[in-house]
Amino acid sequence: MKLDRRRFLGSSVGVAAAAGVTTEWVWPKHTVSYRRPLSAVAVLNAAEYSESIEALLLDGLGLFRLPVLGRSVLLKPNLVEDLPGPVNTNSALIGAAARCFLRLGAARVVIGEGPGHQRDTELVVQAAGLKPHLAERQIEFVDLNRDELRKVKLKANYSGLGELWLPSAVLESDFVVSMPKVKTHHWAGVTLSLKNMFGVVPGMKYGWPKNLLHWSGIHESILDICASVPIHFVIADGITAMEGNGPLQGSTRQLGKIVLADDPVAADATCARLMGFDPLRVRHLSEGGRFLGNLREDRIRMLAEDVGAPTRPFSVLPEFRYLLAVKS
Amino acid sequence: MAPGLWSDRISSLAETLKSRQMKSGGWAYFDSVQESLEATCLAELALAPERQASSSAAILFLLKSQLSDGGWPAFLGDSEGSWTTAIALCTLNSTGDFTAAREKAFRWLYAERGREGHWFWRWKFKTSDRNVRFDPDKYGWPWVTGSASWVIPTAFSIIAIEQFTVCNRSEESEKRIHLGVEMLLDRACVDGGWNSGNSLVYGVPLRPHVEATAIALLALQDEQRTEMVQKSLSWLRQYAASVDSVSSLAWCILTLFVYQEPIGGLRNRLATIIGNGRDIRNNATLATAILALKCGEMIHPFEVLR
Repeated sequence: MKLDRRRFLGSSVGVAAAAGVTTEWVWPKHTVSYRRPLSAVAVLNAAEYSESIEALLLDGLGLFRLPVLGRSVLLKPNLVEDLPGPVNTNSALIGAAARCFLRLGAARVVIGEGPGHQRDTELVVQAAGLKPHLAERQIEFVDLNRDELRKVKLKANYSGLGELWLPSAVLESDFVVSMPKVKTHHWAGVTLSLKNMFGVVPGMKYGWPKNLLHWSGIHESILDICASVPIHFVIADGITAMEGNGPLQGSTRQLGKIVLADDPVAADATCARLMGFDPLRVRHLSEGGRFLGNLREDRIRMLAEDVGAPTRPFSVLPEFRYLLAVKS
Repeated sequence: MAPGLWSDRISSLAETLKSRQMKSGGWAYFDSVQESLEATCLAELALAPERQASSSAAILFLLKSQLSDGGWPAFLGDSEGSWTTAIALCTLNSTGDFTAAREKAFRWLYAERGREGHWFWRWKFKTSDRNVRFDPDKYGWPWVTGSASWVIPTAFSIIAIEQFTVCNRSEESEKRIHLGVEMLLDRACVDGGWNSGNSLVYGVPLRPHVEATAIALLALQDEQRTEMVQKSLSWLRQYAASVDSVSSLAWCILTLFVYQEPIGGLRNRLATIIGNGRDIRNNATLATAILALKCGEMIHPFEVLR
């Protein structure tokens, strides 16, 4: 057979693909898979953070069969800095979620966060307006930057870290709820439920910011952390979101949505679509779709309204224009 | 507050802190079985004048937990040296004793550097990675080996080395201190103060953090009062007037005192916020608050005495 250039190139691609599949088979990058045949997502409309948010959230949670009866629930919001603007998950939503899980029969609800930049966690909690919600129902807040730590062998190996010290409060909880603020991110493209889990990595060991994770690769670290600390449910705060130079200095974007999901990849893919992005172009999402959850729309059952395209996509830094979904 | 009431308040807070000391001699941050080196050092510094350093259980704990390479881990159980080595050295410096342990710690700090300390990364930051504005030739200390230099570990390391070498400055220690000071000045926020370690990201100025600003200013206490230092001090003074968080307010007081700024009103406010201290669950915070309330009544643990 004559080997022309086209055949040669075709064969090379084939060999490379086969080698990739073989490498993945011989040295798998992850030892767990949380993907199920079908994931469920509910997008709720909420124009503002009002008192009615608790009833709305309770109705939304009722669409899922949540196994929280008698169990300990950890709410992991995104509390980063004592800054104005839509930087942190709104405290009204966090408080409402805590009360909802108690109403659904959870034995204990703990709110845990390890802010990535600001060392004074109390300052962030005060600025986020969380204190009244904690006092009201005696809900405990755990500073994940300073909790007791245990060394954990990571269940995926994208970052090369191998192991991480992680807080007991996270490892001992039965049901982890990631509560991200829907934002663009100047290193990762987006920060949603998966990226939000950077907050479980303790500052007392890894510093403020948790810079070792950046050096090991942001997307790679996200995958390793989320493989090792599975997220059981997502409540994403997209009522007032952030676009542009997020996660701290972006602009306010009124999205008017709360996204609930029993799968973090499905949640983040849905949020990305709401932002006008193609989830396949977010590296940790496209790879996470192989084992952390479902990315494809045909594997996501929408329980409430469908995901409509935004009137205009979220603005991004020039480096992230590739995220924008192509209009069909 | 009357002087008698003031000393009663401090004694009561010290009792609360003492009651949380673990059998090992260390303190955890919160109610747990894992000793934190930061909490232990700050607690020992806060309680030290009331007891003999040589017999202090906390000092014995510190000496026992020093790693063979001279560093200290962030918490007991970890085997890797960390940013807490600088605070541990400051704590031993305050005793004026334990020279061998302090010498080993100094050697560890001298060898430790941010990742930009390596030529390859300096070259990368200079040529291709320009989204964050800083001069990679000016590097300091990381939180943990393998990451870049950041403000707080650099500032604590400068203070610890300056204290340790106060009577025997060498060319090597001077050079390292100078490089760390240069790094701090390079990474100051545009209008004064310090964020975690960067001042501009994607061309947008970052806002100062109170604790980083206070600790960086402590590290610059021996330096010239440049315009940047004055602006940072001014920012801290303004911030201190309104902050209600115990830890942040305490660090403001500790720094403003070293710069001979009035702190009486701030101390009264801290005393009011902290109450009997029982609601302050974080032992590092409680210890910092005691240190701030004692300002002027004891040798400042982060002052470099000449």
